[in-house]
Amino acid sequence: MFLKIKTTLIAATLILPAIAGSAIAGTKIGVLVPDSGPAGLFGPSTRNSATLAAEQINAAGGINGEVIELVFADVGVPPAEAAQAALKLWKGEGVKAFVGMHDSAVREALTGLFQGQVPYVYTPVYEGNACSIGLYVTGETPSQQLAQAIPFLMERETVKSWYLIGHDYNWPRDTNALAKQYIADAGGKIVGEEYLPFTVADFDSSLQKIKESGAEGVLITLVGGGSVGFNVAFAGFGLDKQAIRLGTLIEENTLAGIGADNANRLYSSAGYFSSIESDAAKAFAASYEEKFGTDAPALNTLGESAYDGVTLLAALANKAGSFDVSTIEGIAEGTSFQSPRGTSTLKGRHVNQSIYVAEGTGGTFKVVKTFDNVPSSESCSK
Amino acid sequence: MSSILLLNILWQVSILAMVTIGLGIVFGQLKIMNMAHGELVMIGAYAPVITSHLGLSGYLQLPICVATVGLTALIMERTVIRHFYGRPFDSLLATWGLSILMREIVEMIFGREYQSVSSPLPGTMSLLGTDYPIYRVVVILGVAVFFFTLLLWYRRSKVGTEIKAMVENPALAQAVGINTSRLSSVCFVFGAVSAGIAGMVLAPTTRVEPMMGLDYLIRSFFSLVVGGLGSLEGLFIGVGLIGGIQSTIGAFFNQTYGYLFVLTLSILFLWLKPNGLYRSN
Amino acid sequence: MAYIAVTSAALLTVLLLVPQLFGTFTAYQIGLFLIYGIVAQGIGFLWGKTGILPLGQAIFFGIAAYACAQILKNIDSLPLQIALFVVVVACLALLGFALAFIVFKGRSDSGPYFSLITLALAMICEQVAGTATNTTGGFNGIYGYPTIANLDQFNELYYVIAIVTVLSTAAISVLNTLPAGLVARAVSDNEKRMQLFGFPTHLVKGLVFGLSAAFAAVAGILFANHQGIVTPTSTGFLLSANLVIWTAVGGRNHVYGPLIGAVGIGYLSSELRGSFVYWEVIVALVFIIVVLKYPGGIAGYLVDIFCRFKKNIRSTELHLCNAPAISTSIVQPKLIFSKTKVKMGPVRILNGVDLVTPKTGIVCIIGPNGAGKTSLLNAITGNLIVSAGSVSLDNKYIHNLPTHKAFACGIARKLQVPSVFFSLTVFENIALAVIAGRARFLDFFRPSTLKWRTAELTNLLNSEAMTALVDMEKPVSALAQGHRQFLEFAMTTAVQPKVLLLDEPCAGLSPDETRMMTNLVRDFQERNNGLIILIEHDMSIVRDLADRVVVLHQGAVLFEGSYDDVRNNKSVQDVYSGGTK
Repeated sequence: MFLKIKTTLIAATLILPAIAGSAIAGTKIGVLVPDSGPAGLFGPSTRNSATLAAEQINAAGGINGEVIELVFADVGVPPAEAAQAALKLWKGEGVKAFVGMHDSAVREALTGLFQGQVPYVYTPVYEGNACSIGLYVTGETPSQQLAQAIPFLMERETVKSWYLIGHDYNWPRDTNALAKQYIADAGGKIVGEEYLPFTVADFDSSLQKIKESGAEGVLITLVGGGSVGFNVAFAGFGLDKQAIRLGTLIEENTLAGIGADNANRLYSSAGYFSSIESDAAKAFAASYEEKFGTDAPALNTLGESAYDGVTLLAALANKAGSFDVSTIEGIAEGTSFQSPRGTSTLKGRHVNQSIYVAEGTGGTFKVVKTFDNVPSSESCSK
Repeated sequence: MSSILLLNILWQVSILAMVTIGLGIVFGQLKIMNMAHGELVMIGAYAPVITSHLGLSGYLQLPICVATVGLTALIMERTVIRHFYGRPFDSLLATWGLSILMREIVEMIFGREYQSVSSPLPGTMSLLGTDYPIYRVVVILGVAVFFFTLLLWYRRSKVGTEIKAMVENPALAQAVGINTSRLSSVCFVFGAVSAGIAGMVLAPTTRVEPMMGLDYLIRSFFSLVVGGLGSLEGLFIGVGLIGGIQSTIGAFFNQTYGYLFVLTLSILFLWLKPNGLYRSN
Repeated sequence: MAYIAVTSAALLTVLLLVPQLFGTFTAYQIGLFLIYGIVAQGIGFLWGKTGILPLGQAIFFGIAAYACAQILKNIDSLPLQIALFVVVVACLALLGFALAFIVFKGRSDSGPYFSLITLALAMICEQVAGTATNTTGGFNGIYGYPTIANLDQFNELYYVIAIVTVLSTAAISVLNTLPAGLVARAVSDNEKRMQLFGFPTHLVKGLVFGLSAAFAAVAGILFANHQGIVTPTSTGFLLSANLVIWTAVGGRNHVYGPLIGAVGIGYLSSELRGSFVYWEVIVALVFIIVVLKYPGGIAGYLVDIFCRFKKNIRSTELHLCNAPAISTSIVQPKLIFSKTKVKMGPVRILNGVDLVTPKTGIVCIIGPNGAGKTSLLNAITGNLIVSAGSVSLDNKYIHNLPTHKAFACGIARKLQVPSVFFSLTVFENIALAVIAGRARFLDFFRPSTLKWRTAELTNLLNSEAMTALVDMEKPVSALAQGHRQFLEFAMTTAVQPKVLLLDEPCAGLSPDETRMMTNLVRDFQERNNGLIILIEHDMSIVRDLADRVVVLHQGAVLFEGSYDDVRNNKSVQDVYSGGTK
């Protein structure tokens, strides 16, 4: 535990040379990570994953023959301040392209700022419908996470009725709009749907409703601390016996917070888990541990997504021969790349990728089903 | 009203009362609007995390909680808070700064990640025709006993009388030989430790992380606003209204309405009945 | 005024040089913090001058930004857009005014509660903005609208922001020199005194809050243009909190303070946040230290240093001008108490006072401590609620009127402990007294109003008693207690009241000063020929001044008559000698 002080201090000293070293020749890539704010938990694993990707790219000859260098900025702040941070990298540091792991509000601020003048890969799980020139998305969309996972779980756990609960904002609402369709298609029914403000820390009345609804499955689109609090209370009421839980943003940190005692019959659907058994994923986890130590921030789908982002950027720029957006736009469609997630292919600014359904019973994720080459269902026309 | 709703309201009122009593004491007796109160709850919630990390017995949670929160509160009081007695405005700003500082320090020590705290009493029990978590039932009873004892002690003890004297007339209290500086300090630390214990009790039922304090601060603040200060009765009216209304509206409509309603109610009270805040026993 | 023109020109030059020296993108970054700086200036004026701390200023900022985004998205005509912007600012200013006006009406001590109300409102706004997806775009916000007149966000828009910043700075600087600014400061300094001078202080607070809301709204409109996106964070609690921190650290008392705070800390934050892990810790520490040790913030500190080197910059030459006459409708200043009762909790303070004063003359009220003497005055000026019975003046009931209305009835009051404006100078104190009741709305916006004087006041100030007040630039806090008594007397009589209430004017005065004060009271009565009610313990003063003496005991009139009657009355002697009835 007290090692954390040490790691923070080391992190602080590591950052300083990173700035001093910005004189080294090479292509600069801006990586936008949440160091502060509610998503700050994912900052370190995102930085580490991106760093690992850059190292591997450089070892393989860089992008278009040039060594790449990552420059980080904190975007765990409101959109106005996040845009400032990105602008500083773009115009101040002269970065050639961006990889971003942040919320959708910041993404909209950034696409407005970039106006398609610089390639920008957006990597986290999100609600879909982002189509702008120069924007490429590697994150899981709701349809990727749910279209096959819902019918699979309904059959595996014989679930007929679902209760949908999420935070009161765009991502949960858009996710649930699709989920309702998948549940209906699989012959299930919705027995409740609820959205909570971010400020709510007590979930009793929701749990009461879930109990009374007799739901056999609960689809959770709560984020971060809210998800932890909900799941702890859920199990505290013994509802884990009544219903399975499926989350589309329950990753390793959230599960750790929920705790082994409270994770019975808890499922998660995502493009990455640290426990994926493939060779690529194992190799990634091994080099992560080798580079950042056993005490490094836990790998998770949000943090790892930065690896995919940097890798896709390299694939696009190498294929186009430059970072010029109009050239990249010409060759982007169909570009494939390898990552710990497996093989992903760019289709309509989004990627077709592997999706894993994992069970958290016992406190660690075990992948119970893999769906390969799942389409994003996003069809950006422009 | 279903029995589960009744139990939920009881639970809400119990924990909210535990969290609010400290804030109420500190505001009522010292006129300090402590925006860092939620952070004291948070530090208390880390006590079980410390024992489990260090491999200590679970019975050491309480002493560790009292020690860490008490020490934090003492440092706060000696360095910052004591300059602000009787100045609610400035104290609000200063403690706001303190709250940021405390979050950052906890983050440096424990990291930002969510901590998992196992319940000492897992499982549910049958009560009033419904299944309810055993731990919660025990906590509700414990809080009831705590408040009953507190009430008796405050009414009968010398310290209780001294505190009342100090609130009524600090100069006179000093003149008759009450060490008001030490008494204020004790008052603040007591309020803080009660918040810490509330955090420790809450830990197995919620998330534990550096940012958790804010949730509790807001609700307990508005409980004070609605209920009025200076008396345990007022405190319970406040927590009963805030906890009860949010649970009830949450159960019959949705939580967003519940939250907005609580905010609106607080505004109405602040506007039309702000004297509830100053009402003393 | 010349000083303001010079500093504004200097500020404009500096701001215009930014893009030339540091490039358009730095200017773009600075632009955001200038926008925040404009909001902070509004907060600074509100907080620094009237003492009201707004914890939810992002309400007005965010609503204006959302409205601006919708206008830009849906309306193409530029004149119409601008007209609608004006409407938005006006509406939000009105909203701010109404909020403060309503909340502060009928009370004078609810500052912290008002702050909490604004905090709760900001939380409501943020929640609604996040939930009402159809109008606000929810969490992701509104985006994809053009800027006004299609200005380039990275280039031309900066100049608009710079000009608005200079205008807002100049506006507040000018306001600070006007009587209106002085009135705002006086309200935070001594609200009760202002009410006794007839100022409806809730109106003043409402107007200032409305002004700060207008600043926030203008900034919000600039923000929507500058960012191209508006999200719930623009109207939330966190932004409000940051704005307060910037204002506090920069310095709330000076017009440049909030600007320094917003641009300085804001810009440094964006520079250092990503690279320096302990940045937030440092900001928090600096904030605590400022609140603890330097309430004036950076600007306050700089002004202190500046003043140490350069003393007394204001020219001492004053061109005083004649004040307009004060109008009053009172014909017969005769006070009638009829079974007047005042209760405070279970305690009866006034227990059925029956008293009819003469139309003119000096009525002395005496009585042991706790007899209800000061409470009797409080019942006249509306500072205490009369629970039964009545108080009337000139055949009109005046009890339970708001304090500021007592003034309009021709009543002025000097309090027992001198109630003057301690943070203001002697000159400003006198100026406020002359303005009271004389200034009409527009006069508050003319600098010359501050130089009003009446012949009588000039005579009074030149008298032997007022020698301590010769240095008009001296802050009142530096005056001795006795001199404050004289100052308050001068201020209270400057409004030429028909009814003058004097509560122990000689308390704490030396024998010499006591003599001077009694002379002043007598002189005033001879000139003014109104009614004076004087509370006094010292029987020699009572003998010198009283036309009539009223003895109060246990909240009721025990005896009434001439000085000699009172001296010889048995029951009065009993009360004074034995303390028993």
